[in-house]
Amino acid sequence: MCVSIPARIVQITEGAMTMAEVEVAGQVETCCLAYLPDAGVGDHVLVQNGFAVELLDPQAAAESLAAFVALGLVPGGAALGDEG
Amino acid sequence: MVHGVGSAIGDPVSQRWVLDEIVDAYGATVVVERDAQGRASAARFDLTGLPRVDAMLTGQPVGGVPALVERLCGICPAAHHLAGVRALEALATTTPTPAGTAVRALLHHGATIETHAARLAVVDPQGAMTLRTFGKAAAAAAGSPGHFPATAVVGGVAGLVPSSACDELAASAGPALEAAVAIAGQELSTGAAGHPYRGADVALVGSDGHPDLLGERLRVVAADGTVVEPSAAPAGWDDLVVESVPGAPAPRPYLVALGPSDGGYRVGPVSQLRVGTLTTPVAAGLQAQWAAAGAGARVARAIITVHCVEAVAAAVSGGTLTEGDPQAAPGGFDQPGVGVGWADGPRGLLVHRYVTDGSGTLTQAMILTPTAQNERWLAELLLDAVDHPGAAGADGVVAGQPALEEAVREADPCLPVTSAPIGGMGLTVATVAASEPRRGSS
Repeated sequence: MCVSIPARIVQITEGAMTMAEVEVAGQVETCCLAYLPDAGVGDHVLVQNGFAVELLDPQAAAESLAAFVALGLVPGGAALGDEG
Repeated sequence: MVHGVGSAIGDPVSQRWVLDEIVDAYGATVVVERDAQGRASAARFDLTGLPRVDAMLTGQPVGGVPALVERLCGICPAAHHLAGVRALEALATTTPTPAGTAVRALLHHGATIETHAARLAVVDPQGAMTLRTFGKAAAAAAGSPGHFPATAVVGGVAGLVPSSACDELAASAGPALEAAVAIAGQELSTGAAGHPYRGADVALVGSDGHPDLLGERLRVVAADGTVVEPSAAPAGWDDLVVESVPGAPAPRPYLVALGPSDGGYRVGPVSQLRVGTLTTPVAAGLQAQWAAAGAGARVARAIITVHCVEAVAAAVSGGTLTEGDPQAAPGGFDQPGVGVGWADGPRGLLVHRYVTDGSGTLTQAMILTPTAQNERWLAELLLDAVDHPGAAGADGVVAGQPALEEAVREADPCLPVTSAPIGGMGLTVATVAASEPRRGSS
């Protein structure tokens, strides 16, 4: 099954293949923004297999993350980095 | 039937690993088996980037499982939402009200339009945007304005559609249909032929036997047009399909009636057009042209989009969305049992099968996605494609690989690479020694 996890963009690096640093469940990871060229810093996105594939509003992102927490896939205190 | 998982996802000691599995870049890889003479004997698309989540759902309160699954997936949340709630209704022996059924169909058609519009943007970006907006408006009218749907509840829907929303959809249906028909016409005019397929087509139908993306029955048609199964009910799923490799990311399911060797099948827009005549007139006319031309999945997606727009237009003018009981008595999960629910989503048939112990706890789950069901079909497409001149001469990333890319686009697995521009998938080819001779070779 396709599994995609919510993340918040914290930095964008423009280039031939635009990349982003995203905060996901308390960790900073890298993903590709090629399929979401309009995404900006602070936006919430769904990340699947290294690509941001969908823009989310903050509420949907929180709902999505809650599912990962409920199943023990990420730590219970995980957040999307909105505080920072 | 289906138990276990195909990878370590859900392993409580490897949370970091799980996160990496989801977030890390996944190189889309085509594995080609070649014999000592270098001839391709088999090919497959590596689906290890799509782990099964079935096992980790065990122990959850069953009533919350659809919401968990749709939030884990995130790509086709409406299809998971509807298939999951239907599985719950099977457990609770509850039937949705007519109004509830109509509102769910509005959500499903809207979500399907929105998904297909992303694919159709390569043909007409402006028309695709019109369709995407229309699809989102339909889903919002059905009670799901956000990314994750909130429309269906056990026994029906959370609410009816406001009359004002119906009026707005009716007003925008004309331009949306015009855009969809124009795109379908352009796709048909390319003359691109589909790929011959030896397996069966599986899609949902209504009680009248016509294709219905939210149908209560399942129809199977063989490659030669013979109807293998005219009208199977969800409760008959276990007798209909079995996974050759239960729980694996690529489980190679087959139709029991045809056996493991000949029972391969596909799902998706092509199958939706092959199991019967569409009920909406414009799409049915395009469907006839599609069949006469022997066209493939790309055109089929455009025609299904036309069908969905017509279905929305008919629904908003029919009165069933705004009147009647939204919800029947929901029932409960206090009896042990098996519940199967399905929806024919943008990529094809999606099946949720839940087993409960009578205390409302899920004891077993099977989520069978279109991508998993189409893996065998994609393998055949890839095998045909690797023999295309220059298709897979060497391992490594193959740039501008039209034959292999076309195969992947035809089957449309749920992976980000399918959104890549033409020539931009960056498929990796990995060659391994053949395990058995190519079918039909001497």
